[in-house]
Amino acid sequence: MAVAAPLEAASREGSPGERPPGEPRLVGYLYLLPAFVVFAGFVLYPLYRAAYISLWDWDGLTAGTWAGFDNYAEVFTDEDLRAAFVHALILLLFYAVLPLLIGLALAGVMARARVRGLAFFRAVLFLPQVVAMVVVALMWKMIYQPTDGALNRFLGWFGIEGRSWLGDFNLALPSVGLVGTYVYFGLAMVLLTAGVQKIPTSLYDAARVDGAGPFREFLAVTLPGLRGEIAVALTLTTIYALRNFDLVYITTSGGPGNATSVPAFQVFSRAFESGQVGSAAAVGITLTVIIFIISLGINRIAERST
Amino acid sequence: MAGVRFEGVGKRFGSVEAVRELSLEIADGEFMVLVGPSGSGKTTALRMLAGLEAISSGSIFIGDRVVNQVAPRERDIAMVFQDYALYPQMTVFDNLAFGLRRRKVPGADIQRRVAEAARVLDLEALLQRRPGQLSGGQAQRVALGRALVREPQVFLMDEPLSNLDAKLRTQTRGEIRRLQQEVDTTTVYVTHDQVEAMTMGDRIAVMNEGRLEQVGTPEELYERPANRFVAGFIGSPAMSFFTGAEVGLNLPNVVGVRPEHVRPWREGLIGPLKGRIAFVEALGRETFVGVDVGEARLVVFEEGRAERDVGDEIEFGLVESGLRYFDADSGAAL
Repeated sequence: MAVAAPLEAASREGSPGERPPGEPRLVGYLYLLPAFVVFAGFVLYPLYRAAYISLWDWDGLTAGTWAGFDNYAEVFTDEDLRAAFVHALILLLFYAVLPLLIGLALAGVMARARVRGLAFFRAVLFLPQVVAMVVVALMWKMIYQPTDGALNRFLGWFGIEGRSWLGDFNLALPSVGLVGTYVYFGLAMVLLTAGVQKIPTSLYDAARVDGAGPFREFLAVTLPGLRGEIAVALTLTTIYALRNFDLVYITTSGGPGNATSVPAFQVFSRAFESGQVGSAAAVGITLTVIIFIISLGINRIAERST
Repeated sequence: MAGVRFEGVGKRFGSVEAVRELSLEIADGEFMVLVGPSGSGKTTALRMLAGLEAISSGSIFIGDRVVNQVAPRERDIAMVFQDYALYPQMTVFDNLAFGLRRRKVPGADIQRRVAEAARVLDLEALLQRRPGQLSGGQAQRVALGRALVREPQVFLMDEPLSNLDAKLRTQTRGEIRRLQQEVDTTTVYVTHDQVEAMTMGDRIAVMNEGRLEQVGTPEELYERPANRFVAGFIGSPAMSFFTGAEVGLNLPNVVGVRPEHVRPWREGLIGPLKGRIAFVEALGRETFVGVDVGEARLVVFEEGRAERDVGDEIEFGLVESGLRYFDADSGAAL
């Protein structure tokens, strides 16, 4: 026992001999501290403040009154806010689902035929991602213009009557959504076409010898092989879709009426235009929670089927 | 079941000629091994037979049918790949059943054939696992099972043992041979390992730089190699080559001799020759001693564990019946 005591003491102190080489020591956390301070200062504290503010009825200037969870109840009862969340879900189709389907189709084709000049096409199709969203939004606003926009002029060549793409209550949301498709399909495509190249070609050979046609080959080899990339693409584009603000603000400002209003636009409009800072914070927190849950769900599903 | 015939088959990849004028007939039920160093065209030949590579010239027959333009799935072949190529998201059962389902085999038949293959290959306990949960040897058996359940006309195997450790490789070699003899299906087996070729093949086709160098039984290739390439490729350690002038003997042309025909000096051998020991490979039951004689290096075979040291002198001789002669220019056996 007399020998055991000093040994125990040594292991408590974390003597180098007791620890497997390469295992982090407590001092390692010290190295994380600077990054954590920045993260806490710019992410965690604002999040906490937003959560706190969301419990108050506050115009941003004068003293606020305690509102409890009223602002959150409003997210589900206020028609404008409910509509904004529904619009965000519809935009998910255009920002996440459509780019993913286009990317998968391209990846499926590429899996069977190696495309020459792939790097060039990839760079070109990825370009919308690189261009600032403000520029993309302005460009599409011009393309969509009812009188002399490029789209209506193009349709005019075929004798098709032009429409007010961003002014029509039924067309505005899909029109904004398609701009999202244009921006994000490059991202999905780059992720998926890169992913398809790491699928062993012997799997395709095996499927062919086993009697699989092109579609079955896609289902049995390409799609499962891209699970990780699909999860990443879906997570990123879903986040972009739900937090979308600049595109809507520049192209339609949420209009006509409330037809293209989205949660992030509601946050801006309530916080800086109509003096409902508490409500804006509640919308922001709700949006954060929804994004978190959807991302977690996507990654859980991707992990489980591995 | 059916035999296989290559008739003047060639394959070009741009300016590279991967397979040149390959003509080879494989009998129904035969186990044919294509062996050669990397880049010799053996895998390309196999992939052309599978329909995974287009043919640049010539014809391939499976049975009496020319299959040049036939899709892989319609050739009635099954293939085992070097990396096994198991579908990672499917269970072992589904991997085995995949090819049968594509061919619209009735469900009851699929159950029966998969169960039978699982029994033969000892996979019964693994049927619900996924490939990621299998060891290398288990995955290899699943890959074999996937070919077996198909009951095809021809098995194609592309270096199926090269990812296994040495012990498992020896064991699986025997298992594949036993299975093939049981089902009596024509098999084309590609390997770069001449030991695999010698122990498994009914006949062996040796390929080099896209050309077929020699076809024959393992014994024919070992005893009567057609040229220096085959002589040097088949057998381990490899045959040694030298000229009479190099070792101070009056022997014509280029002489090839295998280690078992180079022995420590005793009466009755050709010699004696003297040289300096360059390496010693003591394997327990036998010892191979590399000896430098002038410009040439010969390998001396000794029974048991020989006490030799690198740098020492050794006196040895050649068994006359073991000498093979090759043309100095063309390398052809004389």
